[in-house]
Amino acid sequence: MSDALKQSLDLSMFWEYRAILLQGLIFNVLVFLCAASVALSVGLGAALLRINRLWPMRLIGTLHVEIFRNAPDYIMLVWVHFVLPLLIGIAIRRRVEFHPFTSAVIALGFVYSGYFAEGFRAGIQAIPQGNLDAGRSFGMSERLILWRIILPQVVRRMLPEALNLFVSMFKATTIVSLIAVPDLMYNVSMVIQQEMRPLPLYTGAAITYFLLIFLLSVGVRHFGERWRRTSMA
Amino acid sequence: MGNWERLVWNQRDVLLAGLSITVQVCAIAFLVAILGGLALCLVRLYVRPLRWLAVLLIEFFRDTPIFVQLMWVAYVWPEVFGFPNDFFNAGWLALGLQSSGYLAETFRAGIEAVPRGQRDAAFSAGLSPVQTFRRIVMPQVVLASAPSIVNQFTVIVKSSTLVSVITVPDLMSQSQKLVNVWYEPIEILTATAAIYITFIFLVSACGKLLADRLRLRYGLVAA
Repeated sequence: MSDALKQSLDLSMFWEYRAILLQGLIFNVLVFLCAASVALSVGLGAALLRINRLWPMRLIGTLHVEIFRNAPDYIMLVWVHFVLPLLIGIAIRRRVEFHPFTSAVIALGFVYSGYFAEGFRAGIQAIPQGNLDAGRSFGMSERLILWRIILPQVVRRMLPEALNLFVSMFKATTIVSLIAVPDLMYNVSMVIQQEMRPLPLYTGAAITYFLLIFLLSVGVRHFGERWRRTSMA
Repeated sequence: MGNWERLVWNQRDVLLAGLSITVQVCAIAFLVAILGGLALCLVRLYVRPLRWLAVLLIEFFRDTPIFVQLMWVAYVWPEVFGFPNDFFNAGWLALGLQSSGYLAETFRAGIEAVPRGQRDAAFSAGLSPVQTFRRIVMPQVVLASAPSIVNQFTVIVKSSTLVSVITVPDLMSQSQKLVNVWYEPIEILTATAAIYITFIFLVSACGKLLADRLRLRYGLVAA
């Protein structure tokens, strides 16, 4: 038993494969960056739909938020990778296939867009009507009001919460290995198949992710507290 | 519609068997999460010499992705600790441990929110520390953290899809088996996604209702 413990804490094998594992980690970051931009833009779109004057628009926005906030990210990942291309193929009568990376970005981006949409909506609705009236009386267009008056305030209000969401999103990128995106966990399982030694490799992966995300979330927590103290009164 | 009947409705026994495993895994994991979270939180607050260990465990459970933790518990723990001995146990254990870290922090926030004066009052009325905790502190913590506890349960259900990776025959795994038999993923996977989304929606809607009821009835905590 203590032999197994020694084996799993002996990380020299994990260190030996550092180049390929680091490459995997870069894929995690890439998926995260792309999915985060999808989540932010789709989330903003859904939030604007939810506060639209027309009820069918509001219904679509609400459905979007409720579906994606209640969906497990793994089933969405599998659905986007295996079902969505078939549906698109039927629609345009041609064979379509998604690269695993594309599926990962779409799935994670849409799942998290539901959470971001709620943040955006709460932020937008907290803005006093007077701000909008003032903008209009200056002759600003709706678009300009959105970019110059609404979004700066929304960003300031939702930044701490959004950073937390980004951290959970980065954690969620580990599941993209399941559709063969060559991220850290994927490379770990490849090396395990080669070396037949799961103990040090899984332990190493767990410790790596822990250190990385621990540092990230400590940073986020600190930043969030300072942000609340200085920018909100 | 013929496809839906053939691939989904006629396979309902297979899918329901999977759903029942999903519910079992989630229920045990939820229990583990609540007990483990309470234990971690109490150690962190009241057992000085072991505080560092509780903090380390809480942070480790919270800051490691669930998929990584699941693989780690499923493949490393049996060799090192001799437990869990099968993948079903590994599944609920990993899910429970991760959520216990989150719940520990929720409980801690709830306990720290109880004003000091109430504890002093309880002491001066002759209540023992255990009585004070059970009668004065705990009810307020439960009320204050009810929404977060429900939310954590939905997180467990969402993460439970991953136990299919370690071959636990849950709903996700059963539907993937069906896909591999029929090679027609559209209906099966869409139905599976719909089942999960509806299930989680219902859980969180009922949970919200229950939490609001509790608060209205015992209205101690401002929402």
